[in-house]
Amino acid sequence: MKDSCSSTSQLLERYFDRQATDEERSLVERHLPLCQTCHERLRVLEGLRKAIKTPVDEALKEETFPWVWEKIEREIRLGKKSSWQESVRSWIDLSPLFRKKVWIPAMAAAIILILVTSPLLFFKKDPSYSERSVVEYVESGVYNVMVYESENAKVTVIWLFEGPQTESPAS
Amino acid sequence: MALRGTANRISSFMKKWTPLLVFLFILFFAFPPMAPGQVQTRVRVIEASNVGSVIDPSLRDLHGQLGSLFRYTSYRLLRDERINLSPNQPASVPVHQGRSIEITQVGLQANMAELRVRIKRDGADILNTQVRLSPGRTVLVGGPKHGEGVVILALSASF
Repeated sequence: MKDSCSSTSQLLERYFDRQATDEERSLVERHLPLCQTCHERLRVLEGLRKAIKTPVDEALKEETFPWVWEKIEREIRLGKKSSWQESVRSWIDLSPLFRKKVWIPAMAAAIILILVTSPLLFFKKDPSYSERSVVEYVESGVYNVMVYESENAKVTVIWLFEGPQTESPAS
Repeated sequence: MALRGTANRISSFMKKWTPLLVFLFILFFAFPPMAPGQVQTRVRVIEASNVGSVIDPSLRDLHGQLGSLFRYTSYRLLRDERINLSPNQPASVPVHQGRSIEITQVGLQANMAELRVRIKRDGADILNTQVRLSPGRTVLVGGPKHGEGVVILALSASF
């Protein structure tokens, strides 16, 4: 019995830590009711575990873990609707087109287009233009001058007569 | 090895950016940048005659107007110049036989540019006029003899 107690006591810690095999556990469980020493030793081990575990559990209950809350708050913030700047930034980050940084020359091209087309967009036509003459004045010390203005054809002719044989306009 | 890597990087860079650079290049020449207040003026020097019946393909946009106004059968483009005119800065284009045309932008409104046009022969004014040009409108100055026909100057502006 003493040999058996000696060998069982070696297994007691493994049994307590639940690391014993089925055979070892069976051996220990058969021995414990018969051996007061081993039974007492097991109770001491359980008492030790309880003495360690209880303050740790109490400390865990009282601990607020600030870093955990920071992480949770960050997750909540990310879950909220992002601002337009964040949306644009995330879209740029996600878009493969923009990840290649093509947007720099593309923006340059867009600015050039805007500069080129803006005069057409912002300058309105002057309705009084048709009432005005295209030729404000004309003078020549050498030629006789004829002025013909066609509003429909959007053309104005200033014809210079050099001499009687010079070709002249048909109309 | 490093040299090959650099060459590969350059090659990769060129493949990536060349189409965009070509696009910008075309854009630049299709729409040359104009400083505010500038007027782009086009001066076309045309020889009109009754010798043959050739219409220069580059005068296609003017052909209808020329045909309805004149009795000539042939129109040949002698010179085609585009000038960016700054306010009160005269620009000169040689025309033919010692003649030149000097154009000065003297005013600019929303859809109308005022241009002073001087045609000079050997430095002396033979014509002095001021016209109001709007985009799409053409002023034809013609009459002086040239070869078998006459010379016609077609002025148009864009701004």
